[in-house]
Amino acid sequence: MTFLNSALALGALAFVVPLVIHILNRSRFKKIDWGAMHLLESVIKVNHKRFRLDQLILLLVRCLIPALLAFCIARPLLTGSKTMEANTPVSLLLVLDGSYSMEASEKGGSKIKQAIEAARELVLSTHRGSDLYVLVLGDQPLPLFDQPVFDAEAVVSRLNNLEGGYGACDLRAALQNSLAILDKMNNAHRELVIISDFQRAEWMELLENGSAEIKQGLEGLDISPTLTLLPIGSPVEGNVSVDSIDFPRKAIGAGEPHAYRVNIVNHGKSARENTRVIFRVNGKEESVSQLTLPAGGSRQVLFTHAFSEPGSQVIEAEVMTDDPLTFDNRFSVSVTVWDRIPVVLVDGDPDPAPLMSETDFLQVALTPFALGRFQYADLAQSSTVNRETLDAKNIDAARVIVLANVSRLSVDQTRQLKTFVANGGVLFVFPGSQIDLKWYREELFENGSGILPAPFGRQKGKDSQPHRIVAQHFEHPSLELFNERSNGDLSDASINRWYLLEETTESGQDPLRKNASVIARLDNADPFLMECNYGKGVVLQMATTCDTDWTDLPRKPVFLPLMQQLVTTTASRMVPPRNLTTGEPVIAWLGNAGESATVTVQTPTGSERVIQSAEQDGQQVADYPFTNRPGVYSLATPEETIRYAVQTDRSESDLRLLDEDQLNSLAEKTGAIVVTSSTEYLQNDQLRRNGSEIWKFVLAGFLGFLFLEMVLQQRFSRARV
Amino acid sequence: MPHVSDVITARDLNKFRNLQVLARQVVEGFCSGLHRSPHKGFSVEFKEHRSYVPGDDIRTIDWKLFGKTDRLFIREYEEETNLRCTLLVDCSGSMGYSGSRSHGVTKHQYATATAASLAYLMLQQQDSVGLVTFDTDIRSYVPPRAQAKHLQPIINELQGTQPGEETELGDVIKKIEARIHRRGLVVIFSDLFGDVDQLMKSFARLRHANHEIILFQIFDPDELDFPFRQWTQFACLEQESNRHLVDPAQIRRSYLEKLSDFREQINNACNRHRISLVPMTTDQPFAETLASYLALRRRTQ
Repeated sequence: MTFLNSALALGALAFVVPLVIHILNRSRFKKIDWGAMHLLESVIKVNHKRFRLDQLILLLVRCLIPALLAFCIARPLLTGSKTMEANTPVSLLLVLDGSYSMEASEKGGSKIKQAIEAARELVLSTHRGSDLYVLVLGDQPLPLFDQPVFDAEAVVSRLNNLEGGYGACDLRAALQNSLAILDKMNNAHRELVIISDFQRAEWMELLENGSAEIKQGLEGLDISPTLTLLPIGSPVEGNVSVDSIDFPRKAIGAGEPHAYRVNIVNHGKSARENTRVIFRVNGKEESVSQLTLPAGGSRQVLFTHAFSEPGSQVIEAEVMTDDPLTFDNRFSVSVTVWDRIPVVLVDGDPDPAPLMSETDFLQVALTPFALGRFQYADLAQSSTVNRETLDAKNIDAARVIVLANVSRLSVDQTRQLKTFVANGGVLFVFPGSQIDLKWYREELFENGSGILPAPFGRQKGKDSQPHRIVAQHFEHPSLELFNERSNGDLSDASINRWYLLEETTESGQDPLRKNASVIARLDNADPFLMECNYGKGVVLQMATTCDTDWTDLPRKPVFLPLMQQLVTTTASRMVPPRNLTTGEPVIAWLGNAGESATVTVQTPTGSERVIQSAEQDGQQVADYPFTNRPGVYSLATPEETIRYAVQTDRSESDLRLLDEDQLNSLAEKTGAIVVTSSTEYLQNDQLRRNGSEIWKFVLAGFLGFLFLEMVLQQRFSRARV
Repeated sequence: MPHVSDVITARDLNKFRNLQVLARQVVEGFCSGLHRSPHKGFSVEFKEHRSYVPGDDIRTIDWKLFGKTDRLFIREYEEETNLRCTLLVDCSGSMGYSGSRSHGVTKHQYATATAASLAYLMLQQQDSVGLVTFDTDIRSYVPPRAQAKHLQPIINELQGTQPGEETELGDVIKKIEARIHRRGLVVIFSDLFGDVDQLMKSFARLRHANHEIILFQIFDPDELDFPFRQWTQFACLEQESNRHLVDPAQIRRSYLEKLSDFREQINNACNRHRISLVPMTTDQPFAETLASYLALRRRTQ
């Protein structure tokens, strides 16, 4: 306890005044020769002891009165056992939840506005010399300033311009991040304030598993900060969100109709009838559907669309409903529409007879419509070359190159092929009787640093004992189709002979190539199909031939969808990706052009930025990292306009909050204080800095004692008769 | 030698000069006076006629009436007798108290003046007045005389006594009773501080002997309202060693209750024994109180 006017506290010594008066009274008494002594005496005799006690009590009360008055004027402060900081500066780290659930509208405006207001108050209340750091939580924690700053006004001006609408973040990582920032801040007193709506989806995991870790982290710092949780806003109900759009994983050809499935979730407790869902392509409304959303359930809407133009396109679905959070009512996806996929088949064993050449079955499988003279256009456009005629021109024109039973290639061809793959091309390697195992091992596998997923080992199998492909559950996107048996059964085919793809070392422990994976296996567990990434491209390697020499797979109906899937899926894999989550950079490769190119970026808010591409690994790369806001980012390169859909995780759409018990439990586990408003925080802060003033209570005590003295005096004069 | 005027001023006397002390009840006396006497005899005040019965004094027969009626009637007169009044003045220590509001007059001085006035008044009307001063015992006794010059010894005696010692009125009355043979008026000037029960027993005995009693109970105003504030040591006027240092505020209320009980007790006892109780406070001029009492007494005669 301290006093604001400590000198006045000495006034408490005034308690001696009544004492002195009492003693003086007793010593300087009046003497009276009294006649009616018999009346007086009887009273005194009966009450003698009580008088002494009464006098003592009264004296005590009278002594307390001036002491209390002095105490009151001295303005005592309750401080606990701590020393007061008064106006010393603090290091304040504000963690502001910027996730899009904070966009939910309430009576007092959106939660993010309230949060910013609270943050503003907190920042402005800091004293001179306080260093401030504001971390906005989103998919990526976004600091307002790179360094802690001392200028509260600057922080406030940035806060005023702050917008929410980011995705959910990894809270644990973000909090660890903030602890690291706190550790570097300047002042001896450190405050960590988390302003959030404390959404259940976001915080429950931390409450259950991560709170002890946070507490340890806080305690582990050199200067342990005070953690304050400031929940903003009240629970709102009835949110509807478009959670995702399922679109074909394989290449989408221009003019090909494809189905797009929109997943809509109603988080509310009541059903929503006649809800309209609008399907847009490149911002233009293409289709509308109407549906009823059950309470707490999800619905899917199927839209079919055929793109007329090739190139980068954006499809978007929006649910038209009146819910508290409009932010998650639309979802967009970037798709790349192909005009055609040029496939170059390198035939290692050409034969003029029909279906006798090594690549004949492949050609049929890749371009069935052309061969069958259907009206549809094949997406793949294949051309067959020989080992000798494969040149730079063929390679440059191809998106996919297939090596079918090619014995070996020249040094130049090998180099060009590697460059092709490294730049994003797709290479299929089929073995056969003619291949030069040594060349493949040494030139293409190169001890794991080449383009081949695995070296070809010894040839295995007998014609009399065919093996089959294991019809397991396929994880690879290109084989997902066959998880549904009605789409074809890969295990129908007999594999008579094959090369052992050496996926591991001889000991069988370590993989020969780390980034190689087995997509499908034979029933004796030998790899059937392997894949590896090389540079920006991908290489697929099969264990058996693509003609009928060693297997009857090409004869089976499943061969056609298998090859179509493999080619279109791998060829449509866009590197760099065009569907991003917020915070991931938008990257475009502009090819091998030597000069830096100017790229215009259009952000979801409509503003345009101009960036220059820079050379990376012999390529011009345009990189735009500021994708904290979800939406569509368009990059206009000299050749084309690429659209990127930046989305957030939809876990934020469930607007349920931690209830009071859970919040308190979180506070307890992390050693935090929960305040309901910035005002309460400031009051607490004031209390911590200056202690609580208790003069009012002391004054009340003083008045109480005055009154008590009066009452006692009255009461004590009522001696027993 | 103190003179009457030392005790009673002319102004005081004027207030009750025209008043007379009339005994309420019949008292025995020889000389003619203002009071009814049980003895019928020669006097101017005719009372009644009654039939002669043998044994009656022949001198009392109304011969004129006999001449008219031929029957013997006795003529009866009411004899006016002088009053034998005994003044009892308390000289105990408690009577020595003088508060701030009594202008330095002790209760004893007040009693003295009142007693002297009464003595003067009664001697004026040819009543005989005696005086007893007492504390625990009779200090002095001046027998009743009706001569006007008897005032001087009474005054001398009153002036000569100083208050001191304790009071024991009960014992005193017992002793006095033996000296007053004839029934008469007993006037007591005292604060009556003492054992009320014993006191009342003595009064009862006096009343039994057919004495009329007037009780002038004298208080100092301080004793009635206990106005003290600061710490006070109360020393007993009757007993030097008896001292109490108290905070008057603490005991005022209970003191007053006690006092009220005491007065109530006295009052009840007086009513029971048909004793006239006249409370007097020393801050009031005694002459006025006395005059108003006498006037009241005369009205209710």
